[in-house]
Formats: sequence, structure tokens, C-alpha cells
Amino acid sequence: MNFYTAKADTAAERRVAVDDMILTKTMPTAAGSRMLDGYMSLFDAEVITRLENAGYAIAGKTDVGEFAIDLVGETSYHGAGTENGTLLSASAEAIKSGDVPAVVCFDVNGSVCRAAAQNGLVSVKPTYGTVSRYGTIPAACSGETVSVMADSTAKCREILDVLAGHDDKDGTSLSEEQCALVKTAAAKPAAKVAVLTNFCEAVDDAVSAKLDAAKAALTAQGVEICEIADEKIAAARAAWNILMCSELCNNVSRYDGVKYGYRTQNFTNIDELYTNSRTEAFGELLKTAILFGSDNLSTENYMKVYDKALRIRRVVCEAFEELFKAYDAVLLPACSRLAYTEAETKADKYLAFEENQYTAPASITGLPAVTAGSVQLIGSMFSENMLFETAKLLAKEGE
Amino acid sequence: MDRETLRRLELLNQLKLTEEQKEEITAFFDCREKDLAVLNAIDTSQTERQVHVMPIMTVVREDIASQPFTVEELQKGAPDTDQGYWCVPRVVE
Repeated sequence: MNFYTAKADTAAERRVAVDDMILTKTMPTAAGSRMLDGYMSLFDAEVITRLENAGYAIAGKTDVGEFAIDLVGETSYHGAGTENGTLLSASAEAIKSGDVPAVVCFDVNGSVCRAAAQNGLVSVKPTYGTVSRYGTIPAACSGETVSVMADSTAKCREILDVLAGHDDKDGTSLSEEQCALVKTAAAKPAAKVAVLTNFCEAVDDAVSAKLDAAKAALTAQGVEICEIADEKIAAARAAWNILMCSELCNNVSRYDGVKYGYRTQNFTNIDELYTNSRTEAFGELLKTAILFGSDNLSTENYMKVYDKALRIRRVVCEAFEELFKAYDAVLLPACSRLAYTEAETKADKYLAFEENQYTAPASITGLPAVTAGSVQLIGSMFSENMLFETAKLLAKEGE
Repeated sequence: MDRETLRRLELLNQLKLTEEQKEEITAFFDCREKDLAVLNAIDTSQTERQVHVMPIMTVVREDIASQPFTVEELQKGAPDTDQGYWCVPRVVE
């Protein structure tokens, strides 16, 4: 785990860390990969500029898994953070240890949501396009989102309010009016929440207990809970894996050992330079994702696989739209268990592509998701305020 | 996933796998068939593809020349440079 401390003189509550997918001019950015080990950006990400302009100090950087596609950071080039065999998230540890009250993270495949759930923290993955991705390391551009993990709902909201806003430098940034909705939309809790039961079947007893506690807390506060099953939303995982890996394959094609990043010492010609640099620098999960994505985009599979996944994205979006006609929010787990062990990830190297079944619905649709009380709430576009207020009910019950 | 296809993907993506990795990745690819079955169970014949989650407008800026970074700055992170050029092995024999 890497954690570079800087500007320690800033008041504790104004100190924020950012994860290693976010470019910083004064600290290295490696995306958890040997390919970018020691890489120094020439500019700051837009979110860094916004934080500093608002009087926050970037206190350090937290390590991530390679290109943030893993469970909680275990594929980092620097090695997995563990305690008694249990995997640790560097961002969650930075908050739990009291170093910072919040970390600005880059959510590509649900690692932020899982880490928050497993560590009893709060996270928000805002509506896609409301926080600038300028200066983040691209992985799966159509669904990745700058997110916030914090020690409380209030802190999470405070930091999101600083980050949200239109940015001309990001082609997917929404208008200022739309971005403002993240801060100004009605701040009242959900009246009706749908629990997606088919997502609750494969979770362990600890997660099941958290779901029961969440349902009880919401019911106690007068929120109507309805249990429903939705097979269309459940298809999000398979479709997201296809889209994420295809986009990732293209995005990491730029790393070739020539203009920046790792270069092998073992080459005699240009092909060997490219191949050996990438082979030596990339980890196993990333290599699998690259090959999978490349195959999805091949002439043989483009229509059968990639095009199908794009159509499923619309199916999932429409399924949510339909749900939000009757419910204000959707409740589902963030992960199948409250801890992952190193042994589990060694036995099943592709566990991240299974566990993302809980986070893929928000990733593939761009909908906002708040994790609190170790469960996840998804709302309609720009409903962050409602999700925060609903999450506060979970916290209240916990106290 | 046959070995010839895997070899082609390796070449396309400038990667070299060990035998153990090839076996693991082949098994992963085989699982995709199950995922495809899940997706194919949903009729999308009348559904349009959705590339972006939100309507995206092409950003057009004024075409104004500028130099935000110098050549020296841009080459700071390069593994090997010489007089403003990136060095690579000989390409033309």
C-alpha cells in the first residue's frame, strides 16, 4: 500500500486523499501497474484543481489494483494489502486509520463500492457525467466515474458538492445545469424502496444480516419496502464485462514502452520491445481483460458479443426506468461477502468479474449509487441527494 | 477458444502468455459462453444499441494553436530519448 503524505499542516477535516488512477502533478501516478510505476503527470486532474480551489489539501495517494478492475486493489504492482490473509483496500484503510476523512477514487469495476461496504464506510458513485474525468487514467470510459469514499454521509456529500460541475475539458461532461442537480435536487429520503431479491440469493450470512438490518432500519423510518426480482438487471454483469474489457483493451493499447512508462531491457527489434514491455509490465488479470476485450471486438464476435452487450445496456437502463416509475430507489448488496481473502483470489483469479454482478448495474447505466451500512442504494439520474438522505436513515439506525 | 485464436490475440495485443496463463485464459473464455447464453435469453431484436449512458454532444473548440507543454516536458517520462526524438530499435533493415 502506498500513501504519500503531504501538506500535513492543513486542518484534518480539509485533508483528502486521491487514489492512484487520478493524475497529480506533484505525486506519481501508477494506476497500480508496473507499466506506469513512477510516472509523473504534467498536469493535475480536474478534480484535484477543484479540491484545491475549494481549500482542500491533497494529503496523499492511495494504491489501487491494476487499472482498478479488480476486487479491492489486490492486483496492484505494489502487492496486495492484507491483514491475516484478508484483503485490504488502501483507500478504506486511509480513512479507517484517521489519516483522511475522505478519498476521491476512480470507480471502474465497483472496487470503491465493495471497499466501502466491507469497511462500514460510505461511498457515492455519482451520475455519469456530473464529475469531470479529465486527468483520470482511462480504463472503461463509458461507465467509469470519479467517486468518493468517506467516513460519513455528510463528508461524502460535502466532497461530491466540490467535485460536481461541468468541465469543457471532458467530452462526456454534462451541462452545468444538469451537474448542479447533484447538489440542488430535493433532499428527502426515499418513500418506496425496491429490494432486488435475485441479487440477495448468493450472499453470505454476514451480508444477508446487513441487508435485513437495512430493510428494518428503513421500515422503522416509514420507508415502504417491496421485494422484487428482475432478470433483466441481473444481465448487467455479463454485458458490463464485455463492454469494460473491450474499452480497456483499446485504452491500454497506448502503453508500448516508447513514449512513457515501462520499457523492457530484453529486446532486439521493435516488436520485441512492444511485446516484452507489455508482457513484463502487465499483470495477469489485465492481460486476460485485454485478450477478452480484443476477442469481443473481432470481426467474428463484434455483432454476436459486443453489439449484444450494447443492446443489453439499453435493456438494463429501461428496466431501471420502469422501476423508478414505482420506486424511489433500489436496494441491493454491494458484494457477496464482507471480506475477501488472498487465498480466494488466488484460487479464483477472475473473482472480480463475478463479484461485479452487484456493481455492474450502476456502472453500465451511469446511475448514481450510494453505499452505506454495507448495502447499496441505486437511484435515478441526479438523485444523489435522495440517496444520501436515505443512507442517513441506515446510519441513524446503526447508532 | 482454440490455441490458434489465442495466439492471434496475443500477437494483436503484443502480449506473450505462459502455458499456465494460456490454460487459465482458455477456461475464462469458455465461461463466456454461459454469459452469452444469459444475454441471448433476452430478446434485443427490437432494441437499439446504447453506446453512451447519457446523450453526448461532440465538443467543438476554436482551432487555436498553443503549446501547453514543451518537448522536454513531454519527454520527461520517456524511457529513451535523443535530441527531442523518442528512441526505438531500427525499424527499417
